[in-house]
Amino acid sequence: MAKILGIDLGTTNSAMAIVEIGQPRVLENKEGMRTTPSIVAVGKSAGAGGGERYVGVTAKRQAVTNPQNTIFSVKRLIGRRFSDSEVQRDQKLLPYEIREGSNNDVEVKLGDKWLKPAEISAMVLQKLKADAEDKLGEKITDAIITVPAYFDDSQRKATKDAGEIAGLDVKRVINEPTAAALAYGFNKKKDEKIVVYDFGGGTFDVSVLEVSADTIEVKATGGDTHLGGDDFDQKIIKYFVGEFKKEQGVDVSKDQLALQRLKDAAEKAKHELSSTLQTEINIPFLTADASGPKHFGLTFTRAKLEELVHDYIDRSIELTKKTMEEAGLKVSDINEVVLVGGQTRMPALVEAVKKLFGKEPHKDINPDEVVAIGAAIQGGIMGGEIRDVLLLDVTPLSLGIETLGGVMTKMIEKNTTVPTAKTQVFSTAADNQPSVEIHVLQGERAMSTDNKTLGKFFLDGIPPAPRGIPQIEVAFDIDVNGILNVKAKDKTTNKEQSIRIEGSSGLTDEEKKRMAADAEKYAAEDAKKRELVEARNLAEALIYSTEKTLKDAGEKVSAEERKQVEDKIAAVKDAQKSEDAGTIKKAAEELSAAAQKIGEALYKQQQTTAEPKKEEATETKAEEKK
Amino acid sequence: MINQPQTELEKCQQQAEEYLNNWQRERADFANYKKAESKRLEEFVKFANVGLILEVVEVLDDLEIVAKNNENNEGLEPVLKKFQDLLAKYGAERIKVEGKFDPNLHEAVTAEAQNGSAETQNTEGEEKLEEVRAGYKMNGRVIRPARVKIIK
Repeated sequence: MAKILGIDLGTTNSAMAIVEIGQPRVLENKEGMRTTPSIVAVGKSAGAGGGERYVGVTAKRQAVTNPQNTIFSVKRLIGRRFSDSEVQRDQKLLPYEIREGSNNDVEVKLGDKWLKPAEISAMVLQKLKADAEDKLGEKITDAIITVPAYFDDSQRKATKDAGEIAGLDVKRVINEPTAAALAYGFNKKKDEKIVVYDFGGGTFDVSVLEVSADTIEVKATGGDTHLGGDDFDQKIIKYFVGEFKKEQGVDVSKDQLALQRLKDAAEKAKHELSSTLQTEINIPFLTADASGPKHFGLTFTRAKLEELVHDYIDRSIELTKKTMEEAGLKVSDINEVVLVGGQTRMPALVEAVKKLFGKEPHKDINPDEVVAIGAAIQGGIMGGEIRDVLLLDVTPLSLGIETLGGVMTKMIEKNTTVPTAKTQVFSTAADNQPSVEIHVLQGERAMSTDNKTLGKFFLDGIPPAPRGIPQIEVAFDIDVNGILNVKAKDKTTNKEQSIRIEGSSGLTDEEKKRMAADAEKYAAEDAKKRELVEARNLAEALIYSTEKTLKDAGEKVSAEERKQVEDKIAAVKDAQKSEDAGTIKKAAEELSAAAQKIGEALYKQQQTTAEPKKEEATETKAEEKK
Repeated sequence: MINQPQTELEKCQQQAEEYLNNWQRERADFANYKKAESKRLEEFVKFANVGLILEVVEVLDDLEIVAKNNENNEGLEPVLKKFQDLLAKYGAERIKVEGKFDPNLHEAVTAEAQNGSAETQNTEGEEKLEEVRAGYKMNGRVIRPARVKIIK
């Protein structure tokens, strides 16, 4: 099945996404960016016949030098009649020429040609299509394109035409707020009312949706087609210009180069103030006059930013209330609120929405990408990429076994999709140990006693061998029904034992929650305990190997050296009783150094024997199970 | 009555085929996903430093402006050179501003006529570029275009 591209064809920026393995993913354009400016231009250099065509960021970069042939915000014109009040209003603001076409529609002048807005949009779509094909290495023919909920039939038709001109089979044109709701999976909710608050770069849209039995219906729409994040930027720049004038007595409002630097600073400050409470603006040599160079320095606070733009925020809230009224709903009727558009990253805006609805709005999905993601999901549903029937479960808690010192060694981490299997090789903790106990545990805590025991069994008949030598392969296997099989096998004798645990995830939700909360609560304490046990285990292994070295060396070690090492061993044994991992580690390090000296002297050609051997010998590669 | 086991069998066969098919598809999807993912990771690693590099470059911009505006830059030149070396070490190279305006590399901030007046009309003739802020490329990708003033 061919992939269906989800496209958010925006007024200022566009984005695209695709569903892969049932998961939506935003595609970067050729320039490596996740959004593409919805701008098209024709270079003037080539003269008659039209110059080179630029789409996206390259069109934006040359806009200043070629304003008449740089077409942006064409979405404001698409599918509208020339006499439309919206078009008449925009005509005054747009630097490029527009005229009335033969069907009373709008035509845009690009180079020496008059084009329909759909043809301009098609150029943007064509670039997205080409970049997506480049990224995916396959042809894209099908697409889902989003439009504002208030778009009428003519605007939707024109958008669809744009897709077709670009060589796309537009499978469906869906509403932007619907796409946002889809991205959050709200199509599965029953009888819910959702508000989508979309504060983009140039437009503000608010929509009320109602989800019922597999359909998402738009109950009401509202907003302001000329209110957006760009207004915030302008407000900040104006403030900076004013402050600079107050401080330095120079007006830079006509100085393009200075303004550009202030604009950069304004955008950066706006972004930073979403996560910090204040930021420093420092622009050296912003301009100069007879008295010398002028620098701009300012501490810009979040409070000041909020003061500057609160009118805009208030207006958006008023418009939201109005739309609610039109839908005949009270704020208490709303089940979910979704935030869309880059400007909704601003904490004051989130706060205002939260205050209005009395609930936390959804903002986990990148607000610049949520619409494209929703479009891709719609494509995924239609193309069969998203299969509802096959719901794979995950293990709610980690599973593992107890190892030396009462530590839980995890075999399968929580949230692993089942069916799954994992194999790991363990060994014995003492010389000539005839059997090992496999204590199967479930939970997130570090020590086995704090976790839930699922089962225990012994594997015996291990041939006598020094510690660390026998290889005991432990295999965990969870099947699709959540049934856990644990098997232990001695690789020398091939003797094996196993246990089957049904309902290993048979915990109640409450239990799961409590266990997860405990793990978090005791995380620091557990880490300490674990560190202590690990230090003790390491010290134990070190004592073992050093004693063995001494024994093997026999007479080759002088009495003095032997005494020195034996003293250190005694010190480590003493330190092992301590409850402090640091003390044990320190003593072990000293012993290690002493042992190494002997080792070096004894076997110059050999590696040191004092290297502690881990009792968890080797980890075999986890096997993929069919 | 005798037909029933037959249809049962057919149903089972159909189901088995469907399951096998889905399973094979899933395995193939996964294999492809792994390949794509490792490619993405490669790309990610290649550009993982971009954010930090751009922040460093912003400080460097200021430093360069200071150097340009001060007469006595003793000691500053080697520092600027060190910055460029640092950027080069991480694969970032400065975009040369020369020749004609190219929006793939440059971003126009203003366009001026020779005499200094604002000029946006189509005029023939040679245009010159003046860099107002350095641009950088990294691993062949423009991470920040060079800002230029176009002088007609």
